[in-house]
Amino acid sequence: MSNEKGKYTTVSIPTPLAEKIKKRIEGTGFTSISSYVTYVLRELLASMEEEEEEVFSKEDEEKIKERLRALGYLD
Amino acid sequence: MTNYIVSGLERSGTSMMMQILYKGGMSVAFDKSRPPNEHNPKGYYELEGGKVINRLMDGTFPMEKYDEKFIKITAYGLKFLPRGNYKIIYMVRNLDEIMDSMEKMSGPIDRETEKPLFEKLNKYAMKLLEEREDIEYITVKYNDVVLNPRKEIERINEFLGGKLDVESAVKAVDPKLYRNVREKR
Repeated sequence: MSNEKGKYTTVSIPTPLAEKIKKRIEGTGFTSISSYVTYVLRELLASMEEEEEEVFSKEDEEKIKERLRALGYLD
Repeated sequence: MTNYIVSGLERSGTSMMMQILYKGGMSVAFDKSRPPNEHNPKGYYELEGGKVINRLMDGTFPMEKYDEKFIKITAYGLKFLPRGNYKIIYMVRNLDEIMDSMEKMSGPIDRETEKPLFEKLNKYAMKLLEEREDIEYITVKYNDVVLNPRKEIERINEFLGGKLDVESAVKAVDPKLYRNVREKR
C-alpha cells in the first residue's frame, strides 16, 4: 500500500520484532520504527551492493587469464 | 599436513619472497622449468614453469607432495585451492609498479582496462584469505621488504613460529635488483 504521493509504502513486520525495535530506539535519535527500519535497510543494501561490485565477472576473469598467459603463468 | 604458500599478484615480489625463505633455511619447492632471465635475474622459484594454476584448475596438482614446504601460487590460483591447511604469505605491491613490471615482461598494457581488473583480483584474493577457515595468512608489502628487510623478515619469522634464519634471509634482499619502485619512504 502506497501513500497518495507515492513517496512511501507500508511494509509489514511481525509485532514482536516491532516491539524489539521500539525498545532498541528508545533514547536514540530515531523517532519511529519506520525511520530505524529505513536506516538499517539502506545500510544493508549499500553493503550488499558494495560486495557485489567486487565479484568477478566471467569477462573480467577472461581478461585476467589473457594477461596471465602472456606472463607465462597459465597455458 | 600444512602447506605453505607464497602468493600475491604476479610481479608483486613473490619470487623475492621465495628467495628470502630459501636463503633463510625454509623448505622451498621449485624446479628449473623457468630459468632466471632479465625479469627475474635471481630466478622464479616456481614449479612447472609457474603453471601450477592450470593443475589447480583441473584438480591434478599434488598438494600432498608439498607438505611442510613452501610453494608459489600466484593470486588467481588461490581461487582453485582445495580444502586443506595452509599458511600463506601474501605479497602486496603498488599496482602501478606491478603494471610497469608486467608491461616490461609481456608487452603493452591498456592500464585503464587492466589495472582495475588486477585491483579486483587482489581484493578477491585477500577476501578469500580472510574468509577461508583453513588459511592462516600474513600480508607483506614489497616496498617494506626492499626498504627495511630485517623488520619485515622478523615479522615473517614470527608468523612461521621462529623457523627462519633471519640473518641469512636478510642477505637475500638486494635492493639494487628491485626496479620499478614508485613509492619511497
